[in-house]
Amino acid sequence: MDPLTLAIAAAPSFVASAVEFVEATTIVLAVGITRGWRAPLAGATLAALTLAVIVATLGVALVTVVPERLLLGLVGALLLLFGLRWLRKGVLRFAGIVALHNEEEIYRREVAELRAQGLRRTEWDWVGTAVAYKAVLLEGTEVAFIVIAFGAAGIAAMNAAIVGAVAAGALVIAVAALLRHPLTAVPENWMKFVVGAMLSTFGVFWFAEGVGARWPGDAASVPVILGAFLAASWVATRILAGLLPDGARVEARNV
Amino acid sequence: MPREIWDNVYGLLVDDGQLALGAIAALAVTWLVATRGTQAVREDSGWLLLALVLALVVANLYRAGRNARRHVS
Repeated sequence: MDPLTLAIAAAPSFVASAVEFVEATTIVLAVGITRGWRAPLAGATLAALTLAVIVATLGVALVTVVPERLLLGLVGALLLLFGLRWLRKGVLRFAGIVALHNEEEIYRREVAELRAQGLRRTEWDWVGTAVAYKAVLLEGTEVAFIVIAFGAAGIAAMNAAIVGAVAAGALVIAVAALLRHPLTAVPENWMKFVVGAMLSTFGVFWFAEGVGARWPGDAASVPVILGAFLAASWVATRILAGLLPDGARVEARNV
Repeated sequence: MPREIWDNVYGLLVDDGQLALGAIAALAVTWLVATRGTQAVREDSGWLLLALVLALVVANLYRAGRNARRHVS
């Protein structure tokens, strides 16, 4: 498999994984600092293993069982649905309609809740384990989905997607372990927006190929499709800025 | 926990129901055009899907902006 295809599989996994690991690390840090490190690290490791099993079983099943055309259509449709969700939220956040994700605030709220629950020192901290397990599993599900979708091109692509996700996870965990503080400086909205645009692009590209369409220059059309998504997002952001110059900061599900 | 997993899996693909339904409709239209049309139409159906999805994104965000304006006014 050529380096471009591998990069296409690894890059979205890396960026999406970095964003989701930042969010999960905030919770694990909150648990570790308030209740000790053994339980949350055990919970996070268990969740990572659960995700690895999900990727291995679903990923291998998809690659080996589903016919290529159907696989392109299926993966394309799922990527489009998933990507449009992140793209929409990114644009709404840029326009100030929806509040930006605030790791500092989430961290403080989580610490307060965990302190309120207390800890009996003689027992294994099941609360800490469960909170860390849930946070890593739920945030990691999105990464698993992206890894499976981009890895569906074959074993090499699957490996590249896994390497991208694991590298981002290792980087975020290393930085968080050094700082012992939530990673507030990471431009999460920009990263989510870019991944949303990339996923939507590949969703359109692969679904169309699945139904028999031909793109001029094949993969050379990908930057054109990506540019069209970025242009549409820019137009939408300008429209929203005109509708609500001061923003609104409401819940995403309320708009 | 199972409820939360389901919510997360559902939320993975659907944040705004109308956007998800619109995307599914765009995919269905493209599939119909590609399977019923001539070979030339089928080969160009990707551009149709792109145009439909871009129109959907802009229209959905415009609606979201109007809804948000109603919330704050």
